Parts: sequence; structure tokens; C-alpha cells
Amino acid sequence: MERLNEEGQWIILMAFIISIGIFFLAIVINQSTVIGQTTAEGVLEFPKNDFQDLRSEVFNLSSIYDSSLTDPADRSRINQDIESIALLRKNAVVQYSISNPQIISGKTYVMVNLHYNNGVTSINETAYL
Amino acid sequence: MVNDEAQLYTLEGIAAAIIVVVTMTLVLGTTSIYTPGDTHITDMQLEQLGSDTLRLMDTANSTGARSDLEMIVATYDNRTYFEDLFRGYIRQASGGADSSLQFSASVLYRDDDFGNITSYPLIETQRFSGREPAIRVTRWVQLETRPAGSLPVPHNTLMDAREQVVLVEVLLWRG
Repeated sequence: MERLNEEGQWIILMAFIISIGIFFLAIVINQSTVIGQTTAEGVLEFPKNDFQDLRSEVFNLSSIYDSSLTDPADRSRINQDIESIALLRKNAVVQYSISNPQIISGKTYVMVNLHYNNGVTSINETAYL
Repeated sequence: MVNDEAQLYTLEGIAAAIIVVVTMTLVLGTTSIYTPGDTHITDMQLEQLGSDTLRLMDTANSTGARSDLEMIVATYDNRTYFEDLFRGYIRQASGGADSSLQFSASVLYRDDDFGNITSYPLIETQRFSGREPAIRVTRWVQLETRPAGSLPVPHNTLMDAREQVVLVEVLLWRG
């Protein structure tokens, strides 16, 4: 029987090490699209812009409650505008209330209560403005 | 008689077999193939861009002034200004014209007498076929009265003249 040729073992060993390295790099590339997807979907699913927009709108309303929006009927119509359009187009249950000015520690504040729930994310806020 | 030659070949064979099995497991375990369009990364970027643009348009230059977006909705006849402004803000970061970006904006309002929510188009850069992967950005706009220009039929009679809050909805896509 012919003897096994034992030369070139280092070359074979190096080839192993390099191929294992390439293999792990390939796994990293393979995962990158999936990771990008979960990140992007997480960002898309969280209604950050919706809530910031709603928040600025309600805060803006609260600032004109004492000047140009004093009629309770007007206020309730605008309340219905926001609540029903948000439910129909944004699939979100929105509720807000703006209190009458109240004096707390010598300063006048308006309390704004804000609720937002789109089935996935629920945000509640109470702000004194 | 058993001899102990060719041990390295045997080891190599075992290692190669393990690599083949692991690779096949990975390949067969991947039930779906992701293309960049499936990953929603561009959608996410477009949504951020659109939201930021609408926010910029709805920010007044000074306290007490009315924002550009509010003025565009309030004076319906001035709506071509919406496209100039929107495109201008969208390309603010890159500087170059973003001609592939298309959008379709509409205004949603509530009719207080019947409680219906209706919409009328504001501007459309290209007809939206429904097949493009469009994303939607919105912005609440507060109106002091009904838009001054003549709205498309029948919205002029449907829309209340009262002070109201309407929703500006923009569909964005690359076309």
C-alpha cells in the first residue's frame, strides 16, 4: 500500500480557517436585510409623527381657547372633527380635553388631557400649559 | 488489518460534511427571500421625509402668523404653491431635484350636519394607480373658515363655513 503523503498540511489548515471565516461573514450579510426590515417596520409601526402632530394641534387649540374659540359648541365641533377623522383615517381612538384656566402656585395654567390608542400603541399625556 | 493512515483526510471529510449540513440548514430554513423592497427601509425613510416636510410647511414664520400649509388649504386656488413648497423642502438636504418623487395630496373634512367625512383633492403630481408602494403622511390643519377658492363640486356646499380642523393627507411614492 502506498504511503499517505503528509506534505502541505499547513496549507489545508489555512484553507479551513479562511473558509470558516468566509462562512461567518456570509451569515452576517444574510442577517443584515432581516435586521434592516425589523428595524424599519418597528419605526413605521410606532406612530411617532401621528402623536406629535396631534399633540401640537391640541396644544395649539388650547392656546386659542380663551381668545378666538370661546363658544362651547365650536369647541365640541372641533373635538368631533379630530376624534372622528382620526378614527376613520388614522385608525386611532383619540380623546382630548382642555380645562378652564386654573391658578396653580400663583400661575395660570390650562390642563390638557390627551389619549391616543391605535390598537398597537397607546399614549396618554397630561400637560399643564 | 486496520491501519492508521489517511487520518487527515478523514478529519477533512468530517469537517466538510459538517459545513455542508450547516449551510443546507441555513438555506432550507430561509423560507422567504427578502428583496430591498420588502424590507420597508425606503418606506421608513420616505415617511420621515414626508412628515418632516409637512411639519415644516405647517410651521409659521412668526408667532401669531399663519403657516404656509394653512394658507394653501384656506385659499384653495393657490394650491400649485403646495407642489413648489413640498418639492423644495424635500430636496433641501440633497440640493438636487427629486423628480422621481410623486405625491397626491387631499384634504379630509367633517360635515357637521350629517357627520360625514369627505375629502377633496388638493394636488396630484401624477395619477395614483394604486399599484405603487405609496406611504401616507398626514397633518392636522386648523381652518378659520371654509377655503376661499371654489372647491370641486359638491364640496363647496358640503363643507361647513365654521371654524374647523381638517386633515391634510399626502400619499408619497417613487414613480
